[in-house]
Amino acid sequence: MGHVKVVRRSMRPEDWTDLRFVWLQRGVYADQEEITGLTIQDARQVSENTYVYLDGGERPLRKGDLYFTPDGTVFIKGSGTVPERFKGKEIYLTIKTAAEMIVKVNGKFAGGIDPNRERILLNPYLNGDRFTFEIEAYNRSKPDDERNPAAIGKKGCRQIFEGAYLSVLRDNVQSLVYDYILLMDIAHCDYFNEDYRKFLFVELSHALDKIDFETWEGVDEAAAYVEKVIYSNTDFKGSGDVALVGHSHLDIAYYWRRIHAVQKSARTILIQLRLMDQYPEFRYTHTQAYTYETLEKYYPELFEELKEKVARGQFEPVGAMYVEPDCNVPAAESLIRQFLYGQHFFRRAFGKTVDNAWLPDVFGNSWIMPQILKKSKVDYFVSNKMSTWNDTNRFPHNNFIWKGIDGSQVCACVPPTHFITWNMPSQIQENWEAYQDKEVGGQTLSMYGYGDGGSGVTEEMLEMVRRFPKVSVMPKTELTGGADFLHKNLKDNQKLATWDGELYLEMHRGTFTTKSNLKKMNRALEFKLRETEMLCAFAAAFGGADYPAEEIRACWKKLLLNQFHDILPGSHIHPVYEDAMADYADINTRLDALLARHAGEQYFNSLPFTRSELTFIPDENGPATRDGVKGFWARPDLPGLSCGAVQPLAGKENWMQATPGADGQCAVETDNYRLILNPDGSFASFFDKHQNREWVRPGCGFNKLHLWADNPGMYDAWDILPNYKDVEIPLTVKQPLRLTYQDSVSAEFTVDFLTDKSAWRMVIRLFQDSGNIEVEHIVDWREKHRLAKVNFGPDVLTRELVCDTSAGFIKRPLTKNTTWEQARFEACHHKWFDLSETDGGIAVINNGKYGVGLEGSEVSLSLLRSTIRPDITSDMGRHDIRYLIVPHKDSAVAARVNDQAFAYSIPLRKASVTLPDAWRQALCESGLWLQSAKISEDGSMLVLRLSEQDGARRALRCPRKVKLLNMLEDVEGETELLRVKPFEIVTVGIAIG
Amino acid sequence: MKEYIENVLAPRLQGDGGWVEFVSLEGGRLTLTFRGECSKCTVLDRCTDWIQQKILEDRGEAVTVEAVRKKPFFWDNE
Repeated sequence: MGHVKVVRRSMRPEDWTDLRFVWLQRGVYADQEEITGLTIQDARQVSENTYVYLDGGERPLRKGDLYFTPDGTVFIKGSGTVPERFKGKEIYLTIKTAAEMIVKVNGKFAGGIDPNRERILLNPYLNGDRFTFEIEAYNRSKPDDERNPAAIGKKGCRQIFEGAYLSVLRDNVQSLVYDYILLMDIAHCDYFNEDYRKFLFVELSHALDKIDFETWEGVDEAAAYVEKVIYSNTDFKGSGDVALVGHSHLDIAYYWRRIHAVQKSARTILIQLRLMDQYPEFRYTHTQAYTYETLEKYYPELFEELKEKVARGQFEPVGAMYVEPDCNVPAAESLIRQFLYGQHFFRRAFGKTVDNAWLPDVFGNSWIMPQILKKSKVDYFVSNKMSTWNDTNRFPHNNFIWKGIDGSQVCACVPPTHFITWNMPSQIQENWEAYQDKEVGGQTLSMYGYGDGGSGVTEEMLEMVRRFPKVSVMPKTELTGGADFLHKNLKDNQKLATWDGELYLEMHRGTFTTKSNLKKMNRALEFKLRETEMLCAFAAAFGGADYPAEEIRACWKKLLLNQFHDILPGSHIHPVYEDAMADYADINTRLDALLARHAGEQYFNSLPFTRSELTFIPDENGPATRDGVKGFWARPDLPGLSCGAVQPLAGKENWMQATPGADGQCAVETDNYRLILNPDGSFASFFDKHQNREWVRPGCGFNKLHLWADNPGMYDAWDILPNYKDVEIPLTVKQPLRLTYQDSVSAEFTVDFLTDKSAWRMVIRLFQDSGNIEVEHIVDWREKHRLAKVNFGPDVLTRELVCDTSAGFIKRPLTKNTTWEQARFEACHHKWFDLSETDGGIAVINNGKYGVGLEGSEVSLSLLRSTIRPDITSDMGRHDIRYLIVPHKDSAVAARVNDQAFAYSIPLRKASVTLPDAWRQALCESGLWLQSAKISEDGSMLVLRLSEQDGARRALRCPRKVKLLNMLEDVEGETELLRVKPFEIVTVGIAIG
Repeated sequence: MKEYIENVLAPRLQGDGGWVEFVSLEGGRLTLTFRGECSKCTVLDRCTDWIQQKILEDRGEAVTVEAVRKKPFFWDNE
């Protein structure tokens, strides 16, 4: 007998309550009068707070008109007189809009209007009965708070103007609406006690029975009933202790350009300032020194107001960094500069050193971070995504200790729920239920406020807070600040568990690869900034030259801005990519100008060790071509931090024999190895003559190019899914491997591939005097939803992959025994990875790649993706990708793979350098990486930052006493002998002048 | 017209995460492909009206836009 599902068609009592709640909300406005005679001017923003005004000039704006154009900003003006019947009452300007509006009334910043807030109190700004208002409004076709269901329906570049009104409220109705928002949310939420929810539905209905929805009589009686019957009921008990912290996540660029973030931030801050006037208990946290800088520059009046609120403790700068950067791809020095410039801004502007990093939205966090935090005066770390977005494992802690690669420890909070909530009881209860450290961690952190592009807290959210203590089933809640929450619950908390390792996000694994050119430029400029700053600093400290502090700082800040977590990872619309590439070009030009000041006749080795690695030197008369540039190969043999002449490598005739073999293979022999290359450029055999061993495992690909169908879904630019290898796309070999170049120094074998859309050339470059092999991929990339990887399956018995982090290495398991290992099938590395046995292995050094696939016995370097959201054209066009295959004896450390990677990444350029021999010797003998040399922010010291990268103990013996500095350049001591622990980063200052 | 669409109008739509491509212009019927956010926009007709108006203002040509939406597979159920 079939089961017939009974569908209830009649209205349930709960539905009747729901319906009347809608009526109640319609009764909020007691009286409204439309403001007519408005004008509008269309514009388009072209740079920070600069607009191009579109044709037509000012025109009338009437209710029902279409307004806004794609990527449009409008300026609306209006004026009027307060009607006689409104006098003596609280009067609001009311506009229902999908746009983000900053409103000035009678010349003063009065507040913000957007889909989350439709009115501004006018009384404080009225000048008699007359008022004028000016609105700057940015349309938001993609609402920044799309988690707010009410906002989703308001997308679109062209909007209908719904009119501007003067409004007077029914305060009692508004208050009761807030009661019902709170209680209806509980009534509909499964997290709360079922009996209480039944009780609520019954009593909420009884209360509404008292209201006449025509005359609005009975509202006070209904409110009294709610107070007496519902709020006073203590028969039902809740549990929990939740800290509520107001916050608005602001993406500097995403579905908007960074130029729009200036207005987004100002509007968000303005709204919060006005709420602070209205709700003295309200405290709000705001991150990113960059956003404060733009407020100071473009909205000085608001910035002054902000400073007052900061001084009073209501407005709290959190997150000590310049922006909220991606925390996988930027190198250690970039992360340090995020803190240096961020903290120095907060000190200058507010006299504060912020003691927390606040990174709610970043896509995982490198293991190198705890040390950088600690040495930047940051003891606390907050980041949400591991708890709410992991696709495989539940991150086991929310409040815990995070231990870094060098052993440094910080207090960490990974809040149990999303960083954007609207402070509903259901969200707070969910947070408490998901909280995993209830017994040891104290309170759990719940951030509330709309975000993703600003906006923040609303009046409604704060009205909820005032009512929470009245509801017996709610967890205990405390309105607090970010630092206060961290200090109260994490400081000196001996019960907290420790997580020792990277904070890997089990999602967004594609962001190590998406938008290849951004990553390549970021890497190149990080190194170019290092060398430029070093030359300028040495010349200033030891040669008395002027130091271009402002220009260097400006270049750094522009680079740091573009490391924002939706810029560098590639998860943004097309104009953001164009902005970033233009910024990179600008930085590059400015660095070239600075480098020109230190031009010399000889080549400068900026590495703190003898540079003897095979190096390509651009020269328009050179015989070889790499990256499309003519040049020659050399072995410089330049001592560390020294200048010298470099000659082209002496050639040797007949150094290579290439013999065509069966099936299109080619057998190649040099003094270093015997190769059998397949027609597709993969290696069938790689026999190392020095080590007398084979590197290619039979049956595995080695330098094998693969194209996979890459369909991660909604999070297209962000994700690579674990099943990406299910479908392989055929790569047709258009022209099989052939010898295309040979001279007495190098030789090139070339393979041309073809797909339906793309042309792909692989060049395998062999060298007469090196066992290393370089591979260059020159690609015209026209794919959609494809992931290109090159696989390496070396005959190496190891269960771990050693990956460069930019400040030391991390060993990642290749085994798939646990779900944690399975989930890390794609990870971030920096310049190299290595697979080694105890007596030898294979390293692969790259020039701008970050994604590496851990496939059990095989490893793959991720080369290119081709996603279509948010950018239809992501990664389309030409790419030039290189890597160096480095067979070596012993371990990666013993084989100096890291040093080779620095030499591979840093071009050798001519320069004149001023550095005393004693310092040169001290730095080179230390065995430490000279990560940075700069003049201190106060101009008093040469600052040297050195990092231990091999997991060993080292010592720096200075020629004279130096200052021990933290990463903010505060003096913490003095020494001549500095002992350095494994993976430690140290900073010293040498007084100048 | 193709250049006008690509250089004048397309950057505007791109600023909102949208995308427009010229397909053809035949007898006053301008066929455009819309991708990205435009492909699922519920008020795309307002935008095509604006495009017609802009073309008339800037180029003096009266056209009727035929919009072809190319929605990515992951939005097929929206």
